[in-house]
Amino acid sequence: MSDPIMTVKKLNFYYQGNVHAVKNMSLEIEKNQVTALIGPSGCGKTTFLRCFNRMHDLYPGHRHEGEIFFENSNLLERTDITELRSRIGMVFQKPTPFPMSVFDNIAYGLKLKGIRNRAELADRVEQALKQAVIWDETKDRLKQSANGLSGGQQQRLVIARALAVEPDVLLFDEPTSALDPISTGKIEELMVKLKQDVTIIIVTHNMQQAARISDQTAFMYMGELIECDKTERMFTNPKQKLTEEYITGRFG
Amino acid sequence: MASSIKREQTLDKLFSGITFSAAFLILVIIVSIFISLFRESMLAIDAFGFFGFISNTAWDPVRENFGAATTLYGTLITTLLALAMAVPVSLGIAIFITELCPRFLKPIFGTAIELLAAIPSIIYGMWGLFTFAPLMGEYVEPLLQKIFLPIPIIGKLFTGVPLGIDILTTSIILSIMITPFISSIVRDTFALTPVQLKESAYGIGATRWEVVKDVMIPHAKTGIFGSIIIAMGRALGETMAVAFVLGNKHAIATSLLDASATITVTLANEFTEADTDLYLSSLFYLALILLGMNFLLLAIAKTFLARKGKG
Repeated sequence: MSDPIMTVKKLNFYYQGNVHAVKNMSLEIEKNQVTALIGPSGCGKTTFLRCFNRMHDLYPGHRHEGEIFFENSNLLERTDITELRSRIGMVFQKPTPFPMSVFDNIAYGLKLKGIRNRAELADRVEQALKQAVIWDETKDRLKQSANGLSGGQQQRLVIARALAVEPDVLLFDEPTSALDPISTGKIEELMVKLKQDVTIIIVTHNMQQAARISDQTAFMYMGELIECDKTERMFTNPKQKLTEEYITGRFG
Repeated sequence: MASSIKREQTLDKLFSGITFSAAFLILVIIVSIFISLFRESMLAIDAFGFFGFISNTAWDPVRENFGAATTLYGTLITTLLALAMAVPVSLGIAIFITELCPRFLKPIFGTAIELLAAIPSIIYGMWGLFTFAPLMGEYVEPLLQKIFLPIPIIGKLFTGVPLGIDILTTSIILSIMITPFISSIVRDTFALTPVQLKESAYGIGATRWEVVKDVMIPHAKTGIFGSIIIAMGRALGETMAVAFVLGNKHAIATSLLDASATITVTLANEFTEADTDLYLSSLFYLALILLGMNFLLLAIAKTFLARKGKG
Protein backbone atom coordinates (compact mmCIF):
# COMPACT_ATOMS: atom_id res chain seq x y z
CA MET A 1 0.00 0.00 0.00
CA SER A 2 2.63 2.45 1.08
CA ASP A 3 4.71 3.68 -1.85
CA PRO A 4 6.86 6.58 -0.74
CA ILE A 5 8.61 8.69 -3.36
CA MET A 6 10.63 10.42 -0.67
CA THR A 7 11.55 9.36 2.82
CA VAL A 8 12.68 11.92 5.37
CA LYS A 9 14.84 10.56 8.16
CA LYS A 10 15.94 12.52 11.21
CA LEU A 11 16.12 15.79 9.31
CA ASN A 12 17.52 18.77 11.17
CA PHE A 13 17.93 22.24 9.76
CA TYR A 14 19.82 25.17 11.20
CA TYR A 15 19.64 28.75 9.97
CA GLN A 16 22.73 30.94 10.15
CA GLY A 17 23.67 31.50 13.78
CA ASN A 18 22.62 27.97 14.77
CA VAL A 19 18.88 28.64 14.90
CA HIS A 20 17.39 25.16 15.03
CA ALA A 21 14.31 25.49 12.77
CA VAL A 22 13.53 21.89 11.88
CA LYS A 23 14.03 19.28 14.60
CA ASN A 24 14.49 15.61 13.98
CA MET A 25 11.73 15.25 11.40
CA SER A 26 10.97 11.82 9.98
CA LEU A 27 8.15 11.13 7.55
CA GLU A 28 7.26 9.50 4.27
CA ILE A 29 5.92 11.35 1.25
CA GLU A 30 3.57 9.07 -0.65
CA LYS A 31 3.82 8.96 -4.41
CA ASN A 32 1.01 10.62 -6.39
CA GLN A 33 -0.65 11.90 -3.27
CA VAL A 34 -1.07 15.32 -1.71
CA THR A 35 0.74 15.84 1.57
CA ALA A 36 -0.29 18.91 3.55
CA LEU A 37 1.99 20.56 6.11
CA ILE A 38 0.06 22.52 8.71
CA GLY A 39 1.00 24.32 11.89
CA PRO A 40 1.10 27.80 13.40
CA SER A 41 3.23 30.57 11.86
CA GLY A 42 6.92 30.11 12.52
CA CYS A 43 6.64 26.37 13.21
CA GLY A 44 9.15 25.58 10.47
CA LYS A 45 6.85 24.16 7.78
CA THR A 46 8.10 26.46 5.01
CA THR A 47 11.68 25.88 6.14
CA PHE A 48 11.02 22.14 5.95
CA LEU A 49 9.43 22.47 2.50
CA ARG A 50 12.43 24.39 1.17
CA CYS A 51 14.76 21.55 2.18
CA PHE A 52 13.28 19.33 -0.54
CA ASN A 53 14.59 21.41 -3.45
CA ARG A 54 17.68 22.66 -1.61
CA MET A 55 16.48 26.27 -1.79
CA HIS A 56 18.43 26.97 1.39
CA ASP A 57 21.64 26.39 -0.53
CA LEU A 58 21.22 29.79 -2.17
CA TYR A 59 22.06 31.48 1.09
CA PRO A 60 25.30 31.00 2.95
CA GLY A 61 25.53 29.83 6.54
CA HIS A 62 22.58 27.41 6.63
CA ARG A 63 23.06 23.73 7.50
CA HIS A 64 21.20 20.47 6.92
CA GLU A 65 21.59 17.23 8.87
CA GLY A 66 19.87 13.93 8.25
CA GLU A 67 18.49 12.38 5.10
CA ILE A 68 15.82 12.83 2.47
CA PHE A 69 15.81 9.74 0.30
CA PHE A 70 14.77 10.38 -3.28
CA GLU A 71 15.60 8.03 -6.13
CA ASN A 72 17.80 5.83 -3.92
CA SER A 73 20.03 8.58 -2.69
CA ASN A 74 20.08 11.29 -0.06
CA LEU A 75 19.13 14.44 -1.95
CA LEU A 76 20.80 16.56 0.71
CA GLU A 77 24.11 15.20 -0.53
CA ARG A 78 23.49 15.71 -4.24
CA THR A 79 25.76 18.09 -6.12
CA ASP A 80 23.67 18.48 -9.28
CA ILE A 81 21.33 20.96 -7.61
CA THR A 82 19.98 22.62 -10.76
CA GLU A 83 19.01 19.18 -12.11
CA LEU A 84 17.42 18.33 -8.77
CA ARG A 85 15.41 21.55 -8.79
CA SER A 86 14.00 20.82 -12.22
CA ARG A 87 12.77 17.48 -10.85
CA ILE A 88 11.26 19.04 -7.73
CA GLY A 89 9.39 22.21 -8.72
CA MET A 90 8.15 24.97 -6.46
CA VAL A 91 5.23 27.41 -6.42
CA PHE A 92 5.22 30.36 -4.04
CA GLN A 93 2.69 32.43 -2.10
CA LYS A 94 2.60 35.28 -4.54
CA PRO A 95 2.44 34.54 -8.26
CA THR A 96 5.91 35.04 -9.74
CA PRO A 97 5.61 35.37 -13.51
CA PHE A 98 8.92 36.31 -15.12
CA PRO A 99 9.07 39.69 -16.86
CA MET A 100 8.44 38.14 -20.31
CA SER A 101 5.57 36.87 -22.45
CA VAL A 102 3.18 34.09 -21.43
CA PHE A 103 4.79 31.75 -23.94
CA ASP A 104 8.35 32.57 -22.88
CA ASN A 105 7.45 32.06 -19.22
CA ILE A 106 6.59 28.44 -19.91
CA ALA A 107 9.28 27.89 -22.53
CA TYR A 108 11.96 29.27 -20.22
CA GLY A 109 12.44 26.11 -18.17
CA LEU A 110 12.41 24.02 -21.34
CA LYS A 111 15.07 26.18 -22.93
CA LEU A 112 17.18 25.80 -19.80
CA LYS A 113 16.92 22.05 -20.35
CA GLY A 114 18.33 22.56 -23.84
CA ILE A 115 15.14 22.19 -25.90
CA ARG A 116 15.55 24.51 -28.89
CA ASN A 117 13.25 23.01 -31.51
CA ARG A 118 10.40 25.50 -32.07
CA ALA A 119 7.71 22.95 -32.83
CA GLU A 120 8.58 20.94 -29.76
CA LEU A 121 8.64 24.06 -27.60
CA ALA A 122 5.20 25.15 -28.86
CA ASP A 123 3.88 21.66 -28.22
CA ARG A 124 5.20 21.42 -24.69
CA VAL A 125 4.02 24.94 -23.84
CA GLU A 126 0.50 24.13 -25.00
CA GLN A 127 0.55 20.85 -23.13
CA ALA A 128 1.68 22.52 -19.89
CA LEU A 129 -0.90 25.30 -20.16
CA LYS A 130 -3.64 22.73 -20.75
CA GLN A 131 -2.44 20.66 -17.83
CA ALA A 132 -2.70 23.72 -15.57
CA VAL A 133 -6.14 24.51 -17.02
CA ILE A 134 -5.19 27.93 -18.28
CA TRP A 135 -4.85 27.24 -22.01
CA ASP A 136 -8.29 28.58 -22.93
CA GLU A 137 -7.60 31.86 -21.16
CA THR A 138 -4.14 32.38 -22.61
CA LYS A 139 -4.10 30.82 -26.08
CA ASP A 140 -4.91 34.18 -27.72
CA ARG A 141 -2.39 36.14 -25.72
CA LEU A 142 0.70 33.95 -25.70
CA LYS A 143 2.83 36.79 -27.00
CA GLN A 144 1.62 39.29 -24.42
CA SER A 145 3.34 40.04 -21.13
CA ALA A 146 2.46 37.64 -18.34
CA ASN A 147 2.08 40.60 -15.99
CA GLY A 148 -1.22 41.44 -17.69
CA LEU A 149 -2.92 38.29 -16.34
CA SER A 150 -5.01 38.34 -13.16
CA GLY A 151 -3.52 37.04 -9.91
CA GLY A 152 -5.28 33.69 -10.15
CA GLN A 153 -4.30 33.28 -13.79
CA GLN A 154 -0.71 34.19 -12.96
CA GLN A 155 -0.63 31.53 -10.27
CA ARG A 156 -1.91 28.87 -12.71
CA LEU A 157 0.63 30.11 -15.25
CA VAL A 158 3.36 29.64 -12.66
CA ILE A 159 2.08 26.12 -12.00
CA ALA A 160 2.12 25.45 -15.76
CA ARG A 161 5.69 26.74 -15.85
CA ALA A 162 6.67 24.34 -13.09
CA LEU A 163 4.86 21.46 -14.85
CA ALA A 164 6.48 22.13 -18.22
CA VAL A 165 9.80 20.67 -17.14
CA GLU A 166 7.98 17.48 -16.07
CA PRO A 167 8.91 17.33 -12.40
CA ASP A 168 8.24 14.36 -10.15
CA VAL A 169 7.33 16.47 -7.16
CA LEU A 170 5.75 19.93 -6.82
CA LEU A 171 6.19 21.97 -3.66
CA PHE A 172 3.50 24.55 -2.92
CA ASP A 173 4.18 27.22 -0.31
CA GLU A 174 0.76 28.63 0.62
CA PRO A 175 -0.16 28.92 -3.07
CA THR A 176 -3.58 30.49 -2.51
CA SER A 177 -2.96 32.86 0.38
CA ALA A 178 -2.80 35.87 -1.99
CA LEU A 179 -5.87 34.84 -4.04
CA ASP A 180 -9.63 35.35 -3.91
CA PRO A 181 -11.96 32.40 -3.10
CA ILE A 182 -12.83 31.65 -6.74
CA SER A 183 -9.20 31.55 -7.88
CA THR A 184 -8.42 29.52 -4.77
CA GLY A 185 -11.08 26.99 -5.73
CA LYS A 186 -9.60 26.64 -9.21
CA ILE A 187 -6.10 26.07 -7.85
CA GLU A 188 -7.38 23.48 -5.37
CA GLU A 189 -9.22 21.60 -8.10
CA LEU A 190 -6.09 21.73 -10.18
CA MET A 191 -3.93 20.28 -7.43
CA VAL A 192 -6.27 17.34 -6.92
CA LYS A 193 -6.25 16.70 -10.67
CA LEU A 194 -2.47 17.00 -10.91
CA LYS A 195 -1.70 14.25 -8.45
CA GLN A 196 -2.08 11.65 -11.18
CA ASP A 197 1.09 13.05 -12.68
CA VAL A 198 3.06 14.50 -9.79
CA THR A 199 3.48 14.16 -6.07
CA ILE A 200 2.42 17.28 -4.20
CA ILE A 201 3.57 18.74 -0.91
CA ILE A 202 1.69 21.82 0.21
CA VAL A 203 2.22 24.21 3.10
CA THR A 204 -1.05 25.83 4.10
CA HIS A 205 -2.48 28.00 6.84
CA ASN A 206 -5.97 27.09 5.78
CA MET A 207 -7.13 23.98 7.64
CA GLN A 208 -10.17 23.51 5.42
CA GLN A 209 -7.87 23.56 2.43
CA ALA A 210 -5.73 20.82 3.93
CA ALA A 211 -8.88 18.80 4.70
CA ARG A 212 -10.29 19.32 1.19
CA ILE A 213 -7.34 18.44 -0.97
CA SER A 214 -4.77 16.39 0.91
CA ASP A 215 -4.46 12.66 1.40
CA GLN A 216 -1.95 12.90 4.20
CA THR A 217 -1.46 15.71 6.72
CA ALA A 218 1.55 16.49 8.87
CA PHE A 219 1.19 18.82 11.84
CA MET A 220 4.31 20.71 12.93
CA TYR A 221 4.86 22.73 16.05
CA MET A 222 8.01 24.60 17.11
CA GLY A 223 10.10 22.84 14.47
CA GLU A 224 8.96 19.36 15.43
CA LEU A 225 6.62 16.92 13.75
CA ILE A 226 3.79 16.34 16.21
CA GLU A 227 1.67 14.01 14.14
CA CYS A 228 1.38 12.71 10.61
CA ASP A 229 -1.51 10.59 9.38
CA LYS A 230 -4.15 10.12 6.72
CA THR A 231 -5.97 13.43 6.45
CA GLU A 232 -9.33 11.89 7.22
CA ARG A 233 -8.15 10.33 10.45
CA MET A 234 -6.15 13.41 11.39
CA PHE A 235 -9.14 15.73 11.18
CA THR A 236 -11.69 13.42 12.75
CA ASN A 237 -9.68 11.56 15.32
CA PRO A 238 -6.24 13.05 16.02
CA LYS A 239 -4.01 11.07 18.35
CA GLN A 240 -2.25 14.03 19.92
CA LYS A 241 -3.95 16.56 22.15
CA LEU A 242 -1.91 19.39 20.59
CA THR A 243 -3.12 18.46 17.08
CA GLU A 244 -6.71 18.43 18.23
CA GLU A 245 -6.33 21.84 19.85
CA TYR A 246 -4.78 23.30 16.68
CA ILE A 247 -7.28 21.93 14.19
CA THR A 248 -10.23 22.93 16.34
CA GLY A 249 -8.81 26.45 16.40
CA ARG A 250 -7.95 26.67 20.07
CA PHE A 251 -4.52 28.14 19.30
CA GLY A 252 -2.31 29.12 16.38
CA MET B 1 -9.87 78.17 22.07
CA ALA B 2 -11.04 79.69 18.81
CA SER B 3 -8.05 81.96 18.68
CA SER B 4 -5.64 79.04 19.05
CA ILE B 5 -7.28 77.31 16.08
CA LYS B 6 -6.96 80.50 14.12
CA ARG B 7 -3.31 80.78 15.04
CA GLU B 8 -2.71 77.24 13.87
CA GLN B 9 -4.38 78.00 10.55
CA THR B 10 -2.21 81.07 10.03
CA LEU B 11 0.88 79.04 10.87
CA ASP B 12 -0.21 76.38 8.40
CA LYS B 13 -0.65 78.94 5.67
CA LEU B 14 2.68 80.54 6.48
CA PHE B 15 4.39 77.17 6.36
CA SER B 16 2.90 76.19 3.02
CA GLY B 17 3.76 79.65 1.68
CA ILE B 18 7.41 79.26 2.68
CA THR B 19 7.77 75.78 1.21
CA PHE B 20 6.00 76.88 -1.97
CA SER B 21 8.36 79.80 -2.51
CA ALA B 22 11.34 77.52 -1.95
CA ALA B 23 10.08 75.18 -4.65
CA PHE B 24 9.08 78.02 -6.94
CA LEU B 25 12.57 79.52 -6.70
CA ILE B 26 13.90 76.48 -8.56
CA LEU B 27 11.63 77.18 -11.50
CA VAL B 28 12.64 80.83 -11.52
CA ILE B 29 16.33 79.97 -11.54
CA ILE B 30 16.03 77.45 -14.37
CA VAL B 31 13.94 79.72 -16.55
CA SER B 32 16.19 82.70 -15.95
CA ILE B 33 19.29 80.69 -16.82
CA PHE B 34 17.68 79.65 -20.08
CA ILE B 35 16.61 83.21 -20.85
CA SER B 36 19.97 84.79 -20.09
CA LEU B 37 21.85 82.18 -22.12
CA PHE B 38 19.44 82.76 -24.97
CA ARG B 39 19.83 86.55 -24.80
CA GLU B 40 23.61 86.36 -24.74
CA SER B 41 23.66 84.03 -27.73
CA MET B 42 21.29 86.12 -29.90
CA LEU B 43 24.16 87.67 -31.82
CA ALA B 44 25.57 84.27 -32.77
CA ILE B 45 22.13 82.84 -33.53
CA ASP B 46 21.53 85.73 -35.95
CA ALA B 47 24.91 85.28 -37.56
CA PHE B 48 24.96 81.48 -37.98
CA GLY B 49 21.43 80.11 -37.49
CA PHE B 50 20.88 76.73 -35.78
CA PHE B 51 21.78 74.11 -38.39
CA GLY B 52 24.43 76.36 -39.82
CA PHE B 53 26.04 76.56 -36.38
CA ILE B 54 25.95 72.89 -35.44
CA SER B 55 27.15 71.73 -38.86
CA ASN B 56 29.98 74.23 -39.19
CA THR B 57 33.34 72.62 -38.41
CA ALA B 58 35.23 75.91 -38.25
CA TRP B 59 36.23 77.56 -35.00
CA ASP B 60 38.22 80.54 -36.17
CA PRO B 61 38.39 83.54 -33.82
CA VAL B 62 40.53 85.54 -36.30
CA ARG B 63 38.00 85.43 -39.13
CA GLU B 64 35.12 85.31 -36.66
CA ASN B 65 33.77 82.10 -38.16
CA PHE B 66 32.33 79.90 -35.43
CA GLY B 67 30.64 76.48 -35.55
CA ALA B 68 29.69 73.87 -32.95
CA ALA B 69 30.36 70.74 -35.01
CA THR B 70 33.86 70.04 -33.64
CA THR B 71 33.04 70.56 -29.98
CA LEU B 72 29.71 68.78 -30.29
CA TYR B 73 31.57 65.90 -31.88
CA GLY B 74 34.18 65.85 -29.12
CA THR B 75 31.50 65.96 -26.45
CA LEU B 76 29.41 63.17 -27.94
CA ILE B 77 32.26 60.85 -28.91
CA THR B 78 33.92 60.97 -25.48
CA THR B 79 30.57 60.52 -23.73
CA LEU B 80 29.49 57.58 -25.88
CA LEU B 81 32.86 55.85 -25.58
CA ALA B 82 32.80 56.39 -21.82
CA LEU B 83 29.33 54.84 -21.63
CA ALA B 84 30.36 51.92 -23.82
CA MET B 85 33.12 51.14 -21.34
CA ALA B 86 31.32 52.01 -18.12
CA VAL B 87 27.99 50.24 -18.65
CA PRO B 88 29.25 46.64 -18.89
CA VAL B 89 31.74 47.16 -16.07
CA SER B 90 29.09 48.75 -13.86
CA LEU B 91 26.61 45.93 -14.52
CA GLY B 92 29.34 43.50 -13.57
CA ILE B 93 30.02 45.38 -10.35
CA ALA B 94 26.32 45.49 -9.46
CA ILE B 95 25.84 41.79 -10.19
CA PHE B 96 28.87 40.88 -8.12
CA ILE B 97 27.82 42.97 -5.14
CA THR B 98 24.20 41.81 -5.06
CA GLU B 99 24.60 38.18 -6.05
CA LEU B 100 28.07 36.82 -5.56
CA CYS B 101 29.90 38.90 -3.00
CA PRO B 102 30.40 37.30 0.46
CA ARG B 103 28.36 39.24 2.99
CA PHE B 104 31.29 40.67 4.95
CA LEU B 105 32.80 42.18 1.77
CA LYS B 106 29.60 43.93 0.63
CA PRO B 107 29.98 47.10 2.72
CA ILE B 108 33.62 47.39 1.69
CA PHE B 109 32.87 47.37 -2.05
CA GLY B 110 29.78 49.51 -1.55
CA THR B 111 31.76 52.19 0.25
CA ALA B 112 34.60 52.01 -2.26
CA ILE B 113 32.16 52.77 -5.08
CA GLU B 114 30.63 55.67 -3.21
CA LEU B 115 34.12 57.02 -2.52
CA LEU B 116 34.90 56.86 -6.21
CA ALA B 117 31.89 59.08 -6.81
CA ALA B 118 33.08 61.50 -4.13
CA ILE B 119 36.46 62.24 -5.73
CA PRO B 120 36.42 65.82 -7.04
CA SER B 121 36.81 65.96 -10.81
CA ILE B 122 39.88 68.20 -10.64
CA ILE B 123 41.66 65.32 -8.92
CA TYR B 124 40.72 63.01 -11.75
CA GLY B 125 42.13 65.64 -14.10
CA MET B 126 45.43 65.94 -12.25
CA TRP B 127 45.78 62.20 -11.94
CA GLY B 128 44.85 61.87 -15.58
CA LEU B 129 47.45 64.36 -16.76
CA PHE B 130 50.36 63.36 -14.55
CA THR B 131 49.87 59.63 -14.12
CA PHE B 132 47.34 58.10 -16.44
CA ALA B 133 48.05 59.94 -19.71
CA PRO B 134 51.80 59.21 -19.65
CA LEU B 135 51.00 55.58 -18.89
CA MET B 136 48.63 55.47 -21.84
CA GLY B 137 51.05 57.28 -24.17
CA GLU B 138 54.06 55.21 -23.24
CA TYR B 139 52.67 51.70 -22.88
CA VAL B 140 49.02 51.17 -23.69
CA GLU B 141 48.60 53.15 -26.90
CA PRO B 142 51.75 51.85 -28.67
CA LEU B 143 50.53 48.36 -27.82
CA LEU B 144 47.08 49.12 -29.24
CA GLN B 145 48.71 50.47 -32.39
CA LYS B 146 50.78 47.32 -32.71
CA ILE B 147 47.66 45.20 -32.53
CA PHE B 148 45.15 47.25 -34.52
CA LEU B 149 47.08 49.28 -37.11
CA PRO B 150 47.53 46.32 -39.48
CA ILE B 151 43.75 45.67 -39.50
CA PRO B 152 42.16 47.59 -42.43
CA ILE B 153 39.27 49.68 -41.11
CA ILE B 154 39.73 49.44 -37.34
CA GLY B 155 43.33 50.50 -37.83
CA LYS B 156 42.18 54.00 -38.78
CA LEU B 157 40.96 54.48 -35.22
CA PHE B 158 44.49 54.14 -33.89
CA THR B 159 46.57 56.28 -36.23
CA GLY B 160 48.65 59.23 -35.06
CA VAL B 161 51.32 59.82 -32.47
CA PRO B 162 50.43 58.21 -29.15
CA LEU B 163 50.79 61.09 -26.72
CA GLY B 164 48.22 60.02 -24.17
CA ILE B 165 46.42 63.37 -24.40
CA ASP B 166 43.53 62.22 -26.55
CA ILE B 167 39.97 60.96 -26.94
CA LEU B 168 40.76 57.46 -25.69
CA THR B 169 42.38 58.59 -22.45
CA THR B 170 39.59 61.07 -21.82
CA SER B 171 36.90 58.47 -22.40
CA ILE B 172 38.53 56.05 -20.01
CA ILE B 173 38.77 58.68 -17.29
CA LEU B 174 35.16 59.71 -17.91
CA SER B 175 34.09 56.10 -17.71
CA ILE B 176 35.82 55.73 -14.34
CA MET B 177 33.98 58.83 -13.17
CA ILE B 178 30.52 57.62 -14.19
CA THR B 179 30.91 53.99 -13.17
CA PRO B 180 29.91 54.64 -9.54
CA PHE B 181 26.64 56.28 -10.63
CA ILE B 182 25.57 53.43 -12.85
CA SER B 183 26.71 50.65 -10.57
CA SER B 184 25.15 52.02 -7.39
CA ILE B 185 21.77 52.72 -9.01
CA VAL B 186 21.75 49.34 -10.73
CA ARG B 187 22.79 47.64 -7.51
CA ASP B 188 19.83 49.25 -5.75
CA THR B 189 17.37 48.16 -8.45
CA PHE B 190 18.81 44.65 -8.47
CA ALA B 191 18.24 44.49 -4.74
CA LEU B 192 14.56 45.25 -5.39
CA THR B 193 14.05 42.07 -7.45
CA PRO B 194 11.52 40.03 -5.46
CA VAL B 195 13.29 37.12 -3.77
CA GLN B 196 10.53 34.71 -4.79
CA LEU B 197 10.92 35.71 -8.42
CA LYS B 198 14.58 34.75 -8.32
CA GLU B 199 13.82 31.57 -6.40
CA SER B 200 11.18 30.63 -8.98
CA ALA B 201 13.85 30.73 -11.64
CA TYR B 202 16.22 28.70 -9.50
CA GLY B 203 13.26 26.40 -8.84
CA ILE B 204 13.02 25.31 -12.45
CA GLY B 205 16.69 24.68 -12.74
CA ALA B 206 18.26 28.03 -13.65
CA THR B 207 21.87 28.72 -12.74
CA ARG B 208 23.04 31.95 -11.09
CA TRP B 209 24.05 33.47 -14.43
CA GLU B 210 20.72 32.55 -16.01
CA VAL B 211 18.80 34.13 -13.15
CA VAL B 212 20.81 37.34 -13.52
CA LYS B 213 20.45 37.45 -17.30
CA ASP B 214 16.82 36.41 -17.66
CA VAL B 215 15.18 37.64 -14.48
CA MET B 216 17.17 40.34 -12.71
CA ILE B 217 18.33 42.37 -15.72
CA PRO B 218 14.87 42.47 -17.40
CA HIS B 219 13.32 43.30 -14.05
CA ALA B 220 15.80 46.14 -13.47
CA LYS B 221 15.57 47.47 -17.03
CA THR B 222 14.11 50.81 -16.03
CA GLY B 223 16.68 51.39 -13.33
CA ILE B 224 19.50 50.49 -15.69
CA PHE B 225 18.19 52.88 -18.33
CA GLY B 226 17.72 55.66 -15.79
CA SER B 227 21.23 55.23 -14.43
CA ILE B 228 22.68 55.39 -17.95
CA ILE B 229 20.87 58.66 -18.61
CA ILE B 230 22.11 60.16 -15.36
CA ALA B 231 25.64 59.04 -16.13
CA MET B 232 25.35 60.43 -19.65
CA GLY B 233 24.32 63.82 -18.29
CA ARG B 234 27.28 63.76 -15.97
CA ALA B 235 29.69 62.84 -18.77
CA LEU B 236 28.32 65.48 -21.14
CA GLY B 237 28.81 68.20 -18.56
CA GLU B 238 32.17 67.12 -17.15
CA THR B 239 34.73 69.89 -17.51
CA MET B 240 37.75 69.81 -15.24
CA ALA B 241 38.92 66.26 -15.80
CA VAL B 242 38.42 66.53 -19.55
CA ALA B 243 40.19 69.88 -19.80
CA PHE B 244 43.40 68.27 -18.57
CA VAL B 245 43.57 65.30 -20.88
CA LEU B 246 41.70 66.00 -24.12
CA GLY B 247 44.13 68.48 -25.66
CA ASN B 248 41.60 71.17 -26.65
CA LYS B 249 41.91 70.88 -30.39
CA HIS B 250 39.05 72.08 -32.62
CA ALA B 251 38.94 69.37 -35.25
CA ILE B 252 36.91 66.29 -36.01
CA ALA B 253 39.36 63.54 -35.21
CA THR B 254 38.86 60.12 -36.74
CA SER B 255 41.54 58.53 -34.60
CA LEU B 256 40.94 57.75 -30.94
CA LEU B 257 44.54 58.79 -30.33
CA ASP B 258 43.86 62.33 -31.51
CA ALA B 259 43.17 65.38 -29.37
CA SER B 260 39.74 66.96 -29.46
CA ALA B 261 37.64 69.52 -27.59
CA THR B 262 34.32 69.38 -25.79
CA ILE B 263 31.79 72.14 -25.30
CA THR B 264 32.48 72.49 -21.59
CA VAL B 265 36.24 72.62 -22.00
CA THR B 266 35.95 75.19 -24.75
CA LEU B 267 33.82 77.34 -22.50
CA ALA B 268 36.22 77.04 -19.59
CA ASN B 269 39.27 77.81 -21.69
CA GLU B 270 38.11 80.52 -24.03
CA PHE B 271 35.96 82.98 -22.10
CA THR B 272 39.02 84.90 -21.06
CA GLU B 273 40.23 85.07 -24.66
CA ALA B 274 36.93 86.05 -26.22
CA ASP B 275 37.79 89.53 -27.40
CA THR B 276 34.89 90.18 -29.77
CA ASP B 277 31.14 90.23 -29.17
CA LEU B 278 30.46 87.52 -31.72
CA TYR B 279 33.14 85.25 -30.16
CA LEU B 280 31.60 85.71 -26.72
CA SER B 281 28.10 85.20 -28.08
CA SER B 282 29.15 82.00 -29.85
CA LEU B 283 30.43 80.62 -26.55
CA PHE B 284 27.08 81.36 -24.96
CA TYR B 285 25.42 79.67 -27.90
CA LEU B 286 27.52 76.55 -27.23
CA ALA B 287 26.41 76.63 -23.60
CA LEU B 288 22.79 76.92 -24.66
CA ILE B 289 23.13 73.89 -26.93
CA LEU B 290 24.70 71.86 -24.14
CA LEU B 291 21.95 72.82 -21.73
CA GLY B 292 19.30 72.06 -24.33
CA MET B 293 20.89 68.66 -24.97
CA ASN B 294 20.90 67.79 -21.27
CA PHE B 295 17.34 68.99 -20.95
CA LEU B 296 16.23 66.83 -23.87
CA LEU B 297 18.01 63.82 -22.42
CA LEU B 298 16.29 64.27 -19.09
CA ALA B 299 12.92 64.66 -20.80
CA ILE B 300 13.43 61.42 -22.73
CA ALA B 301 14.41 59.62 -19.55
CA LYS B 302 11.42 61.01 -17.63
CA THR B 303 8.85 60.07 -20.24
CA PHE B 304 10.38 56.65 -20.62
CA LEU B 305 10.38 56.03 -16.88
CA ALA B 306 6.82 57.35 -16.53
CA ARG B 307 5.56 55.06 -19.28
CA LYS B 308 7.39 52.13 -17.75
CA GLY B 309 6.00 52.87 -14.32
CA LYS B 310 2.43 52.70 -15.62
CA GLY B 311 2.85 49.51 -17.68
